[in-house]
Amino acid sequence: MANLKEVRVRIKSVSSTQQITKAMKLVSATKLRRAQTAIMQMRPYAQKLQGIMQNVGDNIDSPELKSYFSQRKVQKVLLVIITSDRGLCGGFNANVGKMGRTLITEKYKDIYDAGKLDMMFIGKKGQEFFNKYKNIKQITDFRDLFQNLNSDGAFAAAEWILQSFANKEYDVVEILYNGFKNAATQILTNEQMLPVVKTKSAGATTSKNDYIFEPDKTEILEDLIPRSLKTQLYKACLESFASEHGARMISMDKATENAGDLINELKLQYNQARQASITKELSEIVGGAAAMAS
Amino acid sequence: MTLEILTPDKSLFNGEVESVLLPGSSGTFEILNNHAPIVARLKAGTLKVRSKEGNQNFEIKGGIVEMLDNKIVVLA
Repeated sequence: MANLKEVRVRIKSVSSTQQITKAMKLVSATKLRRAQTAIMQMRPYAQKLQGIMQNVGDNIDSPELKSYFSQRKVQKVLLVIITSDRGLCGGFNANVGKMGRTLITEKYKDIYDAGKLDMMFIGKKGQEFFNKYKNIKQITDFRDLFQNLNSDGAFAAAEWILQSFANKEYDVVEILYNGFKNAATQILTNEQMLPVVKTKSAGATTSKNDYIFEPDKTEILEDLIPRSLKTQLYKACLESFASEHGARMISMDKATENAGDLINELKLQYNQARQASITKELSEIVGGAAAMAS
Repeated sequence: MTLEILTPDKSLFNGEVESVLLPGSSGTFEILNNHAPIVARLKAGTLKVRSKEGNQNFEIKGGIVEMLDNKIVVLA
């Protein structure tokens, strides 16, 4: 039978752990709500941007624009790994890491072996995951984006990617992150950022509206296309951020539940031990009294 | 006509206006009611909104404006 004091100490420690997990759950729930609002507020912007792009059409003439679509021979690859800064959120970060590892060992094996695969980390955890891969050049300039997540930071990171791609430092850029479906579900996502994958616009939907283009279509596209790419990265960051808090909320909820179960079990043990010691004491007294009487 | 000023972080303005003065990439221009459909590139500058409630200024770092059917959308 377990020692009374030992059990009491364990109950105490488990219940203080439970308090922490409960608090973390509540904090994540609040942060999740804020992250969701940020996604919501970004959505009209993205939609309008898409709308304008459709209206402008996609006849691309200028060489600068063509470079965004150019399918070069893949020799150098950049993977953008978006994870969280902190752990305790279930398989959130490990899933992205695993996906990255699959890409290294399968799709881009040759490039990785040649040391031509770079990774950009947004969020600290991703870097920890790939530290042991010495062949990978780590780009950590934008790692701490999540400490103050706003469009400026994400746009700066995207700008860097666009520049490097334009300078032919990379031939393919892919983004790996947890997409947000709802608080409990993350969708592991692997998006190709560059070169831009042309989505087939349904037929020739040149709008009937006779737009004035100021100064001209090409210049407008030169603003629109990078802008939509930056928005794409920002959206990925926002979704990952919301997913992180969703994942943490769920895992902390589970942890709180488990701690509760454990406490119940320990309480049962404690009461049994207490009862046993009382019974033992009683029988000792009774035995002693009987010995005196006889 | 209605004006919407959107940034990736939030919506800055949404409402009825009388005129908007915009820093176009090839010169400042103004959009009044019933302007022809237009898509224009904006450079960094001040965006001046005139409405019945008074005037409002917004600083932008460049962007795109689209006007269609008396609806203006500014993506900054």
